[in-house]
Amino acid sequence: MHILVVEDEHKTADYLSKGLSESGYRVEVGRDGYEAWYLIEECEFDLIILDVMLPGLDGWQLLKRIRRRSQVPVLFLTARDAVEYRVKGLELGADDYLIKPFSFVELLARVRTLRRRGPVREAEYFRVADLEMDVLRRRVTRQGERIGLTNKEFALLELFLDREGEVLSRTYIASRVWQMNFDSDTNVVEVAVRRLRAKVDDAYTPKLIHTERGMGYVLEARA
Amino acid sequence: MRIHHSLAARLSLLFALVSVLLLGSIGAYLYHTLNREIAWRDDQMLRGRLERMETLLDGGESIAALRQRPQLYANMLGNRDSLLWVLDTKGNVLIEVNPGNLPVPDLLASEGVRLDNVRGESPARVAWQTFEQDGRSLTLVAGKLLDERRQMLAAYRLRLWLALAAGALFAFLLGWGVSRRGLRPLRRLSEQANRIDMHHLNRRLDIDREAKEIVALSHGLNRMLHRLEGGFSQLFRHSADMAHELRTPLTNLLGQTQHTLRRERSAEEYRQVLESNIEEYERLSRMIDSMLLLARTANPLKEIPREVVDLRLLVEQLCEYFEGMAEDEGRRLVNQSNGTILANRDLLRRALANLIANALRYGRFETPIHIGTSNIEGWVKLWVHNYGEALSPDDLPRVFERFYRCDPARTSLANSGGLGLAIVRSIAQWHDGDVQVESHSEKGTTFTLWLPCTPNV
Repeated sequence: MHILVVEDEHKTADYLSKGLSESGYRVEVGRDGYEAWYLIEECEFDLIILDVMLPGLDGWQLLKRIRRRSQVPVLFLTARDAVEYRVKGLELGADDYLIKPFSFVELLARVRTLRRRGPVREAEYFRVADLEMDVLRRRVTRQGERIGLTNKEFALLELFLDREGEVLSRTYIASRVWQMNFDSDTNVVEVAVRRLRAKVDDAYTPKLIHTERGMGYVLEARA
Repeated sequence: MRIHHSLAARLSLLFALVSVLLLGSIGAYLYHTLNREIAWRDDQMLRGRLERMETLLDGGESIAALRQRPQLYANMLGNRDSLLWVLDTKGNVLIEVNPGNLPVPDLLASEGVRLDNVRGESPARVAWQTFEQDGRSLTLVAGKLLDERRQMLAAYRLRLWLALAAGALFAFLLGWGVSRRGLRPLRRLSEQANRIDMHHLNRRLDIDREAKEIVALSHGLNRMLHRLEGGFSQLFRHSADMAHELRTPLTNLLGQTQHTLRRERSAEEYRQVLESNIEEYERLSRMIDSMLLLARTANPLKEIPREVVDLRLLVEQLCEYFEGMAEDEGRRLVNQSNGTILANRDLLRRALANLIANALRYGRFETPIHIGTSNIEGWVKLWVHNYGEALSPDDLPRVFERFYRCDPARTSLANSGGLGLAIVRSIAQWHDGDVQVESHSEKGTTFTLWLPCTPNV
């Protein structure tokens, strides 16, 4: 997958480029609006990450130009979180946005979501190692043994399974499972993950839910 | 300078206008009185003339004799503007004194004295009377040309206009002077106000020795200055507080990183430092987030979008969110709320989340936390109650201040940096409501959000 990062701040551009490359994406960087436009005209991209505060051609103008020629997914970055900003970006045809400062994990999650854009059919059945989830019948088993979960524990596990192998940040988990769209500054998510582990992981091997310190949690079968 | 921008000019103009109206009315009244008086006297004179002529004719003087000796009545008339006709029934002129060569007016016979105006090139006032003499009917007509009267009145009118103009001008100048003098306190006020700026917000307007109206204005302005000074000093304090609060995580970041770089370390050690750094970064990010929210709610330029929020559902969601944490500490979250309110769902959720987090942080283990609602006279009360150590009376009024911490020792990394309750208050105020706290060592601590049932949109 080919991603264009349009960002004038060097450090940000560098770490985005490095991080995305390490995650297996091909990355080009445009340092200003005109350079970015040149790149867009030269190559095909699958996703554009666009900082809206740019010298020369600014992000909004660039977005308008992009939309005139293609429907490539655009994720815009902004340091201003005023509602008008978000609305403006989305109205101009952006597909998603992130407010600075954002965590890199969050950015990766958004990139993956945009890649999978289109009608995503909700999975009805998950299986990772010997952990199985039947979403419709609300059954979870491990090594064939039934595990009783509360509603929220079920939702949390479903989220982990749906994003198997992806690191999920605490804020992302809080917003998806409890609709808490802000950093509530408590260890609620830690507690919830710990309780889920107690039911799903503690008595079994291999362990499936892993902590990525400073970033979040990931569910995957590690060898 | 546009006229209506200067109070003095406006007042002077009003003075002048009032004077014109007043002088004009008086002038018009005097003019009309004079006019009527002159007309009455002229009429009286004409009547007198008719009487004398009649007496003359009655005294046996024949028309023929009178025609022979015009000086008899000419003396009597004297002026150049007097008219006299003696007419017979057929309208033939028997005697005529007519310096203006007016045509003989067409008059109806009348027993008594009648008066009328004659229009034409030279208008005149005439009086006439018909009487019998020696068996024939004669009409005596006495008249007066109006030219002289008109000229006189015209001259009088001119003088009145001149007087009026002079009066208006005088009133304007007088008004200008008076207004300038009368508005001097205002100029003093503006001079004083000019001396107040960002660096001298503690200055106040002098209210001694001023007129009652100015004193009222100055008091109003002083109160405004007081509020502004309060707001500004709060703002300065907030900036200073924030700068100080930012120092702690930055000190950790800087110190820890520099310390790590002083010599070669294992990959695991580097990893630990980076992870610890992330925690500090997140803390900084949360603080910035909170400060921005506070900035937006404290200075709402716009009406917030509101929707009907089911309180029981909202609290239920929050209970589910904090359930795990509470259970770990042997506590229960009890939802006693119901009803709906028109509010911003996200902000209200955030305010309640902060209150519940606060209750969990400071409440005693093994005790329940109650969240409930009640309606009181147009207000919805949303309260969060916990058992635990009471807040000291000194702390109570200050817990909603930014960065205020009851007990500096109780701060921890997980703490919201002293902004959680400030955010609650800000959100309440943005909804035209408020927040209050009661604390008692046995009854526990209750935070109450007061929100209006129907906000003033």
